[in-house]
Amino acid sequence: MMALLELAHVQKSFGTKQVLTDLTFSVEAGSIFGFVGENGAGKTTTMKLILGLEKLDAGQITVAQQTVKYGQNKTNQNIGYLPDVPEYYGYLTATEYLMLCGHLTGMHKSELPTRIKEMLAAVDLPQNKQRIHGFSRGMKQRLGIAQALLNRPRLLICDEPTSALDPAGRREFLDLLASLRGETTIIFSTHILNDVERICDQVGILNRGRLAVNETLVNLRQQFARPQLQLTFADLTSAQQAAVTLQVTEKVVQPQFSLPYQGASQQFTGQVLRQLLAADIVPLAVNQQQTSLEDIFLEVVK
Amino acid sequence: MKVMWYFTHKEILEAWRKHHLLIIGLIFMIFGIESPLIAKILPDILHSSFGSNLVINIPQPTSVDSWQQFYKNITQMGIYVLAIIFSGFMSQEVSQGTLVNLIAKGLPRFIVVLAKFLVAYLQWCGAILLAFVITWGYTAYYFPDNKSPQPLLGLVPLLIFGLFFTALLLLGSTLAVNNYFGFLFAAGSIIALTILNMWKSVQRWNPVALMTDNLRLVQGTEKLAHISPALMLTLGLTIVLVTLTIIIFNHKRL
Repeated sequence: MMALLELAHVQKSFGTKQVLTDLTFSVEAGSIFGFVGENGAGKTTTMKLILGLEKLDAGQITVAQQTVKYGQNKTNQNIGYLPDVPEYYGYLTATEYLMLCGHLTGMHKSELPTRIKEMLAAVDLPQNKQRIHGFSRGMKQRLGIAQALLNRPRLLICDEPTSALDPAGRREFLDLLASLRGETTIIFSTHILNDVERICDQVGILNRGRLAVNETLVNLRQQFARPQLQLTFADLTSAQQAAVTLQVTEKVVQPQFSLPYQGASQQFTGQVLRQLLAADIVPLAVNQQQTSLEDIFLEVVK
Repeated sequence: MKVMWYFTHKEILEAWRKHHLLIIGLIFMIFGIESPLIAKILPDILHSSFGSNLVINIPQPTSVDSWQQFYKNITQMGIYVLAIIFSGFMSQEVSQGTLVNLIAKGLPRFIVVLAKFLVAYLQWCGAILLAFVITWGYTAYYFPDNKSPQPLLGLVPLLIFGLFFTALLLLGSTLAVNNYFGFLFAAGSIIALTILNMWKSVQRWNPVALMTDNLRLVQGTEKLAHISPALMLTLGLTIVLVTLTIIIFNHKRL
């Protein structure tokens, strides 16, 4: 598949602080790319560079084979942008704001009323005379989704879009993004790693100005596989006795702890259970733990 | 050009819905009514203030007094009222982050500057024309003399000065980190130009001449050609200031 977005050796600093040192990655057309990194890692800066809102110090960014140039808007007509905290003109209604956005992206005048109606319905906002200053944070976020998708962009950039949504709104938003798979390329930055696990095809972890990993979730799990056996006991005393029996070096403070292992899980589980039964300790539950994105993230950024 | 219209339309809606037009309209309407009225009743006010014991000889007011009051009100108060209203028109957008989304959608930055300049200048013209028409009507009613034969001629430099003053406010507001800087920048520049006016050799070239020579133009004792160097320089400076604003705004982080 062809890459819709390509970043090559991108560098950016603010004053003496180097934010991006050598950022290189590409996102395939139609895929959902999870963009993860610690606070201040440079995710928002990267997104603003893609949008031509910040100046590159070095490197090149292309969107649909067109080079992004600071202050020029040729590539932006292919992009929808949903910032973390969208700011609007409070004195406009949602329809008026979307009308302005539609005109700016070059949408045809005749197409706009129908498309706006569709988008407002899709994000569950009423089409009435209510002005945006009366909107709740969640409503503003939903309006952000509507404006970002209004012109059916080829690339959608979402900067921590779920942070202001309630659980139901978050689920609906993720479902909406997932439904765009194949037709719209999405870059999705978030701190909520569960969201990335749920919908992203590819995950990039930004660390110290570079993309430390850029893989599919399946490949990442294989690469960073660190299987663990989780044991749950009736009380803390039993858990502590078990920890002594199993020679666990870490201090146990809950009636539950995990044991990392290598090799076949069945063999390791059998060995642990035999040792516990020999000491007359019976666990309440024994579970295999899969490597989560959180484990991988912590491993990458440590 | 279409994009220019869409953003200008947004600016006009902003001026209307944030009640800027209403506030400006009311204030300048008061200026328009007050100027001839004050000229008319000033002798009575003075008589009643000093009482009947003191005999003072106050000449009968004329249309010149009315226009003098008008230009005093507009140049000493009116322009600063407008400056306060417009002072945050660029800095506010930047600090609130409202432009990010529109720029990201392809709105050229120079359009933002030009549309804001245009709408602010239209408000300037509207405000001054409103006050002018009211003053003109009342002046003709209260003082039916022929001492002010060229009322329109006095207005032309003031409208052109508005271009320069709006450009100053725009530049100040673009450089600004807060709303007050735009106002202080424009007011400070006018004060500096007024001080420069103390040198006779610069008077004909100084943009401030466009708001100091109005009464002589109204009376017909001065021709517009006399301040044509100031008119030309003001127009030139306006172009320079707007261009400078565009360059600075192009490099501004949003």
